[in-house]
Amino acid sequence: MALIDLISAEVVKVPLISKTKPEIIKELIDTLKAAGRIDETEPAYDAVLTREAKGSTGLENGIAVPHAKTDAVRSLTIAIGISPNGIDFDAIDSKPSQLFFLLLAPPDQSGPHIEALAEIARITQSRAFFNSLISAASVKQVVELFQEE
Amino acid sequence: MEGPIKKILVYIDGTEQSITAAQYAICLSRALGAELTAMYVINTRALADLVKTHIFLKAEQEEYQQDLEADADRYLKHVRDLARQKGLIIDTVNTSGTVHAEIKNKIRELEIDLLIIGELSHIRSRRDEFYNESERAMRSVPCSVLIVKDEDRVWDLFESLI
Repeated sequence: MALIDLISAEVVKVPLISKTKPEIIKELIDTLKAAGRIDETEPAYDAVLTREAKGSTGLENGIAVPHAKTDAVRSLTIAIGISPNGIDFDAIDSKPSQLFFLLLAPPDQSGPHIEALAEIARITQSRAFFNSLISAASVKQVVELFQEE
Repeated sequence: MEGPIKKILVYIDGTEQSITAAQYAICLSRALGAELTAMYVINTRALADLVKTHIFLKAEQEEYQQDLEADADRYLKHVRDLARQKGLIIDTVNTSGTVHAEIKNKIRELEIDLLIIGELSHIRSRRDEFYNESERAMRSVPCSVLIVKDEDRVWDLFESLI
């Protein structure tokens, strides 16, 4: 399944209002709840925090990819959020994180989970794409950027 | 047997589309008397890339690789069972690496005449054309390729095969 198949306006939050790592994760999971993609938020939140405790998914250059396996979802689910000013996400380069991809997958769907993460790894290599995303003024614009990429 | 298609390879990736492709491959193999091999590729290239980009921890890579190995065993067993239901004995191949490259290599090694794959996702972004592994296999393999569509029709065909 292509990443774009998982992305719709309902799972994109622009701008994120949270200022801390746990709050950002919660805000993204709440976005999935509001979109009807997840029934219970607590198990998902716990799963992502447990994964983050083993090592931050704050990458270089303002990107973070928090993810976890959890029974809280029935299929691979993604939320995308943008924090234009960035927040401290314990990134490996210690820079603020601005672009967030939160992925949740059921424990028995590792294949699609890996494919989606690999696709995120590829698209985030493009500095131009990153700059376009964090400059996006609306959710609609974010979704269109993914479709055009 | 004589004919243009003596050896068929069906690529299984765990999606419903690939299982439908397997059902069609079983029907076609029976009709043509062709040898059928089902192949699953554990995408270790993607796992390595995720560690390299720091999205995965090393321990996570190992955990997910074990998950994928279990998936490979489960899906290939399912396809073997489907074939057995229809009186067909098939070979299964479980490899790891870069998916489209592994498919291409196996086609050469086994001298496959026809690759069968499941229906492709709709192309909704330019990226899909470049990175979808089935797309890449379809474009790079040296043999003919058959893309199986219409799940309901294939299901009826498979069920009616005695």
